[in-house]
Amino acid sequence: MRLLPLAFTLLVAIALGLGVTLFMVTHSRGLDVVQAGPWQGWPRSGTVKADPYSRAAVARSGELPLELADGLLFLATTDDKGRPIDGRCETRITGTLPQARLWTLAVMDEEGRFIPNDAERYGLTSSEALYRADGALDIRLSPRARPGNWLPTGARGRLQVALRLYDAPFSFASGAGDATTVLPHIVQEACP
Amino acid sequence: MSLFDTFTVRVPRPGKDGKGSDGRGWFRRQLARVNWLWPAGLLLPAAVALVLAGIAHIVSILAMPALAEHNAFARLAALTDSNEMKLLPDPTPLSAVLPMQDPAFISAVCLYDLNDKPLKVRVPATADYTSVSFYTDQALPFYALSDQAAGKVIELDLMNADQKAALPEDEEITAADRLVIESPSEEGIVLVRAHVRDRSMRELVRRQLEAATCTPAN
Repeated sequence: MRLLPLAFTLLVAIALGLGVTLFMVTHSRGLDVVQAGPWQGWPRSGTVKADPYSRAAVARSGELPLELADGLLFLATTDDKGRPIDGRCETRITGTLPQARLWTLAVMDEEGRFIPNDAERYGLTSSEALYRADGALDIRLSPRARPGNWLPTGARGRLQVALRLYDAPFSFASGAGDATTVLPHIVQEACP
Repeated sequence: MSLFDTFTVRVPRPGKDGKGSDGRGWFRRQLARVNWLWPAGLLLPAAVALVLAGIAHIVSILAMPALAEHNAFARLAALTDSNEMKLLPDPTPLSAVLPMQDPAFISAVCLYDLNDKPLKVRVPATADYTSVSFYTDQALPFYALSDQAAGKVIELDLMNADQKAALPEDEEITAADRLVIESPSEEGIVLVRAHVRDRSMRELVRRQLEAATCTPAN
């Protein structure tokens, strides 16, 4: 009867190991995270030096990661205070962006799908956006139409925002210090 | 005594000698057992389990790219044959060929297979940002180029290490502006993306991108 405890230990070990793997590939996009306020970027996952966690996550999700020589992706799932972005709130994304040839911003639900809407407005680009006199941006995510840079949220519970900077002449390899000052703030108001 | 024996320590059933008889003595014996055997005996199996769990985790993470069945290559292989350029349908909330696509771009893909011949990729730059990125069949990005670096037409030769080594030297000199890229894998994905500045230009950019080709070189 000594086989039983041995098998039990093995089973526990494998379940634990695979459980951690499943958690990592669904919750993480790699270990080289650059944090800039609520935004997270993974610059090295767009290169051949991508770490095993980012390779595994990419293989599981089936995406083609944005190449670093092409652009850089930043994802935000929370606001500045760390609360999840709620599609029922009025969310404002304000501030200036780092210099880049162009940028795009897309709103998605938790699973990375776009928010259905009649106007097929899934995102905003640098040429479509309206800028304030000082060059700053003011983007509003809201379930109801708003003047200016409005993106519909469909009143979804949780959202994620993808900001992509293309042909950006900066590098995050040196550290995230400068990114914190240049990526916009996310503030939520009027939550139900 | 093996190290797992502690798991199998039988707890004598109080009912054997009649319920409740000598209850205090039995309980004391159990307590003594618990105090002595349980923590020390569990420590080793727990440590073994933890080490094995770590190994299982590392192996499964490393094996994931090779084992994943719904990776980008498999998703695209369902849509298109190898060595031909195919425009992808625009991602919508209900359907997207690949997750995390940028809605402000039109994409085309070419699944390549270098086993027979090298590949020639030719992408005319559209009015706006156009880029060509290369991935292995496990979706590892290994090269990208945008129109700003390449000019009006992006022209590339993709080959494996053997084909690149077999290039005649003089040909490299005559075709100095020819861009040769070495693929680390025999199969992979060429992703062509063109930015759409304004929604009304989607159709125009899509038509321009139809001119992109990838063909086996002769």
